[in-house]
Amino acid sequence: MTATTSAAPARGRAMPPKPRRPWGLYAGLFVCAVITVWAAIGIDFTLGPLFSDLTRGQEVVAEFFRPDWEFAWRVREQWIETLQLAVVASFLGCLLALVLAHMASDVTAPPWMARTLKALLAVERSLPDVAWALLAVAVVGNGALAGILALFAFNVGVAAKLTAESVDAVDRGPVEAATAVGAGALQRAVAAVLPQVMPNFLSYSFYVFELNIRASLVIGLVGAGGIGQVIKTELSRFQYSHISAIVAVFIVVVFVLDQVSAWLRRRLI
Amino acid sequence: MSTVETRPTASGAARADRPKRPNPWKQVTGSLVTAVIVVLCVVTVDAQWSRLSEAPGILGDYLRLMTRGVLQNPMADPNSEYWTKAFEYMVESLQMAWIGTLVGAALSFPMAFLAARNISPRPVVFVTRQILNVIRAIPELILAIAIMLPIFGLGPLAGALALGVGSVGTLGKLGSEAIEAVDPRPIEAVSATGARPLHVLAWGVLPQALPEIVALWLYRFEINIRAGAILGAVGAGGIGSILTQLFAARLWDRIGITLFIIIAVTVLVDQISAWVRHRIIAGGGKDLAAEAEALS
Repeated sequence: MTATTSAAPARGRAMPPKPRRPWGLYAGLFVCAVITVWAAIGIDFTLGPLFSDLTRGQEVVAEFFRPDWEFAWRVREQWIETLQLAVVASFLGCLLALVLAHMASDVTAPPWMARTLKALLAVERSLPDVAWALLAVAVVGNGALAGILALFAFNVGVAAKLTAESVDAVDRGPVEAATAVGAGALQRAVAAVLPQVMPNFLSYSFYVFELNIRASLVIGLVGAGGIGQVIKTELSRFQYSHISAIVAVFIVVVFVLDQVSAWLRRRLI
Repeated sequence: MSTVETRPTASGAARADRPKRPNPWKQVTGSLVTAVIVVLCVVTVDAQWSRLSEAPGILGDYLRLMTRGVLQNPMADPNSEYWTKAFEYMVESLQMAWIGTLVGAALSFPMAFLAARNISPRPVVFVTRQILNVIRAIPELILAIAIMLPIFGLGPLAGALALGVGSVGTLGKLGSEAIEAVDPRPIEAVSATGARPLHVLAWGVLPQALPEIVALWLYRFEINIRAGAILGAVGAGGIGSILTQLFAARLWDRIGITLFIIIAVTVLVDQISAWVRHRIIAGGGKDLAAEAEALS
């Protein structure tokens, strides 16, 4: 490869041509700058309070540094509820997502179906977790059922999208082989596609579980059960020392889950 | 093909060549443990499953009310006000997410280099990674309640800064992975000319990693649009504030309009951002290909 270029008699040609001025890049940077200024004005951006009002939050921050550990233990039932919500919602969500993913990929479904379903999933994912939680609370009332429904609705789209991309990237050989021996759509999916996407799917399931644990905070804040609900009550009572204990435990839980699921994912892939 | 030729021809030996059946105990125990945990949770969770039977009917009613709100003439008097109001809040969400992403990008940029194994010494990498992990574990909501709202007061600025600090964890981690994935040869070439470490970073590492890193910023922007929604519920601005109010008042037609705007704007921004991300990453590849063509 290099031999042919260096052997070329015209020495000037070996030099790469000078890149043209990237006008597109300049235009893009200009657009970004304009958006930034517009957004900064829109939200009254200033770092002033950091210097002038840093002490304004002192009482709250001071409370935060006196965590009431006993309280974190007193609400153990809500902690368990948070885990229960996440487990049930992740399991149901991932199960449905596995089916939807097969229906949303060109490999296993007709193109029209795959395209429609992918668009629907994009719409489904565009609603934030709070919106699902508010909707679930309005439909089934406060409590754990609303939490399960909200987390379920929120994570189906994520899990289905990720798995569908794995199905898209599957090695076509086994699929062709299954078709050649006369397999139907279901048989093809089970025998040729599923074994290939299973490691990825399991790793996404852990990821979704993690997402659900994080989202449970948000979900509870609007009344859909779990530890978030405790934070909501304590926030309205200005019990920051209670909140900080819960937050500290929460961070440790998420941190540990993060490490465990990273370890499991490394083993799976 | 080659395996067929090397395979012994004797039929007795061929049978021994067959791959062993994989040991299924791992899968079986894994599935069993999962099943036990799930069943335990379903049984013990304090959920009123009976309400599930009425849910589709209620949801249907609400959906009908919401669609009616969306389909009403948007130019008529109270409706046009609802549309503009929801749109204004959504724009505020976008602004929060944009500034938040920029703050996160600025803070995470140096940390990504400190957390990359091929750039920094081991102890620095270890410490930086642990810091990033801890930041990643703190939800934006908590950052807003505990730090930003007391200091910056109610409003979108507190939300934007909560999103910004919350973004540092993921952006730093993924950015460091992008930096670790760079081709070492340009780094070697730059070092060979006697460049200082900072020059090596600027001319050997950055040009390779920057497209990936900018794509990550855009991706985080998409996430921040959604993540910012909850911040409104605690008074930190954006679409979430109006959404929680509307749900509290059960104004279904206005909820319909607001959800419609959230979906439309989010999908649109996602499309644009995905297109730009694609251009940034594929664009670099295309130029490389063109250059290679010019050289040959």
